[in-house]
Amino acid sequence: MSGHELHPLVKQLLDGDITLADLPAELRAEGEAALRLLAGVDRTDVSMPAVTWRVMAKLEGRRRRFLPWLLAPALAIAAALVIWLVPRTPAPASLVTVRFVLVAPDAKQVSLAGTFNQWDPQATPLVRAGAAGVWTATLTLPAGQHQYAFVVDGARWVPDPGAPAIDDGFGRRNSVLTL
Amino acid sequence: MRSESQSADGEIVRAVLAGDRERYAQLVERYRDRYARYATRMLGSVDAAEDAVQDAFVRAYDQLAQCKEPDKFVGWFFLILRNRCFAERRRNRNSASLDAANEVAAADRADGGAENAESRRALQRALLELTPDQREVFVLKHVEGLSYGEIAERLSTSIASLKMRMHRAYDKLRERLRDHT
Amino acid sequence: MQQGTGIAQRLAGRVPPQIASLVQELGTAASARGLPIDPLIDKAIEGSAKGVAPERVASAVRLVAMQLDTAATALRDGGLVADTLAIAAGEFAITAGLSGSDIKALARTGANAVALTVGLRVAGTLAALGVPPAEDIGLVSVALRSGEPVSALLSLPANVQSAIAKGATPAQAAAGLARAAAAQAAHGPPPDRGGGHPHLPHPPTPPHP
Repeated sequence: MSGHELHPLVKQLLDGDITLADLPAELRAEGEAALRLLAGVDRTDVSMPAVTWRVMAKLEGRRRRFLPWLLAPALAIAAALVIWLVPRTPAPASLVTVRFVLVAPDAKQVSLAGTFNQWDPQATPLVRAGAAGVWTATLTLPAGQHQYAFVVDGARWVPDPGAPAIDDGFGRRNSVLTL
Repeated sequence: MRSESQSADGEIVRAVLAGDRERYAQLVERYRDRYARYATRMLGSVDAAEDAVQDAFVRAYDQLAQCKEPDKFVGWFFLILRNRCFAERRRNRNSASLDAANEVAAADRADGGAENAESRRALQRALLELTPDQREVFVLKHVEGLSYGEIAERLSTSIASLKMRMHRAYDKLRERLRDHT
Repeated sequence: MQQGTGIAQRLAGRVPPQIASLVQELGTAASARGLPIDPLIDKAIEGSAKGVAPERVASAVRLVAMQLDTAATALRDGGLVADTLAIAAGEFAITAGLSGSDIKALARTGANAVALTVGLRVAGTLAALGVPPAEDIGLVSVALRSGEPVSALLSLPANVQSAIAKGATPAQAAAGLARAAAAQAAHGPPPDRGGGHPHLPHPPTPPHP
């Protein structure tokens, strides 16, 4: 029965101006069928993250000054990629030597675990000096943000008493090292 | 839309016009996904939509000096994107829209299963057979959720003429979908 | 997908399978939105290394994902285009107790991405020392606005710590330093910003031969 148009009231239903209850009984079935049609609408969000760098790369080509190292359009795009795609790394990469100290006279074993060694309690043991129970380790770390804790006797996670501390999300505290 | 973000738009537009090209990226970041869905439903293909959105942003940059109300960049940008989408349909009038519809539906996830995926594909196919004006009012109202009043303002047209387009769209969609079942 | 391989490799042998797939899923989505994935990976590895139950690790990782979003939004609202290091620093600041508004306030100082990233890390560290948000953001904002070099920003926590050791409360310590920095900015020579817009990304490095 092609060519048969939807009843005007059903169209108002689809527009959202009236509800199914407002339709006379003889139009309910047609109304429901029409609503089912609308239900097939795809409303999923669409995301296009690549558009940002692609647009800016195109605009890059509109530079008025001639930069000597932008020799060809391909290089211009590659240069733009450096800005927009590659996460920025701090430049120049600088390293800082840090000495970690924990006073724990009763401990048999102390190690250091943190973001710089995959939180592995076995990766960085501290060395005990003398009977006073001063445990130390010296590491060279890249500039940036680090979190860590001491692990005493392989089981007890202890934040550094001398350092700023934040919630670790697991009921304990991590120490913070900002280089 | 928060008024705070509107004034930020105007500020960015003015900064870009004053020579700070890099700040344009903020506008792109802010609005590219908002119109990604509209473009995708209009063109039936995510790839085509991505090209359209990208081209629209580049064109908007080129014509930025003609944006009379920098605080209303969004509405002005939408018209550029709209033109670009309409131009695409004219270009591709002869290409198979079936593949495009399948491509869009392929992105569907398992919400509802095969039956819903099929009905979504069918509707997208049918949408592509409407005229661009009819498809647009349908997408703006039933995908983007705008009211007739909002659509009328955006397209600078009357609610009455929008309803006429939409009601013809309803009839055509029903006809297409009935023929396929 | 290359990104996915990276995530899987870093988690291999360090987290149980259900955590690995959660991080994979969250990481892929985050990456597509321009968010850094390291904080997600680090938190998953940390929880597993600490012997925490998988459900709790999952919650913690999801929280990090949410905080990354909050940080990214706050930075965007403050005028900084997506920068993964700054977003990660913002997420750290939120963990330390600061809010999206605090992050946005720092972004609005107009500092460039490098300085702002350090500023956010320092702000988080000060919060971890007990400095309340108002004094914290106040001090870091003054430092950022006066264009202090990164090394000066990084020494703020140590300066606050020594003031605390001398008997000041964290709030007093921070406020005192802020006053001193503002006074210096008013009377010292204007800092050389080197021109250019604060939010310009670094100029692209020339392609390597």
